[in-house]
Amino acid sequence: MKRSILFPITIALILCAAPLLIAAAKVGDAAPDFTATASSGKTYRLSSNLGKYVVLEWHNNGCPYVGKQYNSGNMQRLQKEWTAKGVVWLTILSSAPGKQGYVTASEENGYLEKMHAAPTAALLDPTGEIGHLYDAKTSPQMVVINPQGIVIYDGAIDDKPTTDLADVPGATNYVNLALEEAMAGKKIETPATRPYGCSVKYSDSAH
Amino acid sequence: MPPPKNSLTDERRIQTKMRMCVRCLGSAATLVLGLILFAHATSAQTQPTATSAPIPHGTVELVAENQWIAPAHDFLLGLRFKLEKGWHIYWVNPGDSGEPPRIDWKLPAGISAKAIEWPTPERLGTSSIVDYGYQDDVMLIVPMHADPNVAQPAPAQFAAQLKVLVCREMCIPGKAQVSLALPIKSQPPPPDHGNSTLFATARQSLPRPAPASWKFKLSEQKDSFTLVGILGRQISNAVFFPLDESRVNNSASQKVVPAATGFAMTLPKSDQLLKPIARLRGVLVLSADRAYTIDVPVSKPAVLKN
Repeated sequence: MKRSILFPITIALILCAAPLLIAAAKVGDAAPDFTATASSGKTYRLSSNLGKYVVLEWHNNGCPYVGKQYNSGNMQRLQKEWTAKGVVWLTILSSAPGKQGYVTASEENGYLEKMHAAPTAALLDPTGEIGHLYDAKTSPQMVVINPQGIVIYDGAIDDKPTTDLADVPGATNYVNLALEEAMAGKKIETPATRPYGCSVKYSDSAH
Repeated sequence: MPPPKNSLTDERRIQTKMRMCVRCLGSAATLVLGLILFAHATSAQTQPTATSAPIPHGTVELVAENQWIAPAHDFLLGLRFKLEKGWHIYWVNPGDSGEPPRIDWKLPAGISAKAIEWPTPERLGTSSIVDYGYQDDVMLIVPMHADPNVAQPAPAQFAAQLKVLVCREMCIPGKAQVSLALPIKSQPPPPDHGNSTLFATARQSLPRPAPASWKFKLSEQKDSFTLVGILGRQISNAVFFPLDESRVNNSASQKVVPAATGFAMTLPKSDQLLKPIARLRGVLVLSADRAYTIDVPVSKPAVLKN
């Protein structure tokens, strides 16, 4: 009997909540806050970085588009360059257990060392919670958040949606552009692009 | 891991084997093999010779609709992909992830290639990430034109350097080199029965231009477009594939409301669409064998989103 009363209420609650749940971060909106454990074991909370620029980088070490950025040394160069200027760089691993790109904390630490990667932290997101919060579609999708906590860029790392290492040198890097323009007090000319790459390997992903 | 690159064609492999044999065999065998090689070379002058090349989890082959080409005539070539079960390649707009195949042609003087004719894709993926592409067997038709002064009588050598991303759970980039030799004759070719069926099937999978009697209207709301189609009869099922990226939210469901004369369809906007657009182009699929290209202007002056 109880169930027959609660059931419609539950359905109504789900229906009301659904639009809120699927409304992910958009350029111009406040960046949704999250807390995550890094491969180093430390806990990171996005909102504790207010006052700084933050870059979110979706990562999957088996994705050839990610491989293009890391094997060319481009991603590491960006990480070093921007963290040296005070930017907080968070690499996010949203692959579900059993899917491509899923790693344990120690495996990720080994990868960071081997690749000479230098993000502020590599955040483990095996449930895909942060990924869904930002509606991350691909690796390497990139998000830039300004010191006021507003998303100012969301999309591709650059304008060459290929897996060719040879395409890195001539590419226009959208993360660089957004950070440079924002820091110079200019309007972001390209605030959103199609985030090319491999689909994020969420637990429900089939491709 | 991608399979090892193997640019050796079947034909070359056979010829290489033959050359190796020739060295170690006696003169009688040499004569026999010589005759086979001669016969092979002779047939190559009249029959198109195509090669199939490996790509990750599949093969690709360059094929021609007809047996030869003629000056001042259009003709069709096709890139025929055969993929292992579960693997897919991408449409010209790949959707949320992935990348379409790219062809770099090496064509004989006097021959020009037109744009790829993309078959109607299918929606691939899950609730949160949706791509547009092809599984199993698919052929990309490429229309070609031969100038009046195209060189005769030597066979025309076509080659294509192909880059293709093949995905299932994961994605593997592949490269392939495919080639084809076609004789040039002054008279246009008769239909080649083997390949005409292949090309007829491929043509059926292409979207057709929407009939001129059909009317479409596109209105814009803050977060979505509404596409109204007036087709003269009720439409209950329709799927829209946006030709240009970052216009329509790929993974959002497309709500179709049937009307007596057609339908109204809600197309949620892409999060990446921050500027107004003048038109929306794409493929409207009404059923498995009825797909239409449409190009609809946004009906009222677009208003800048905040």
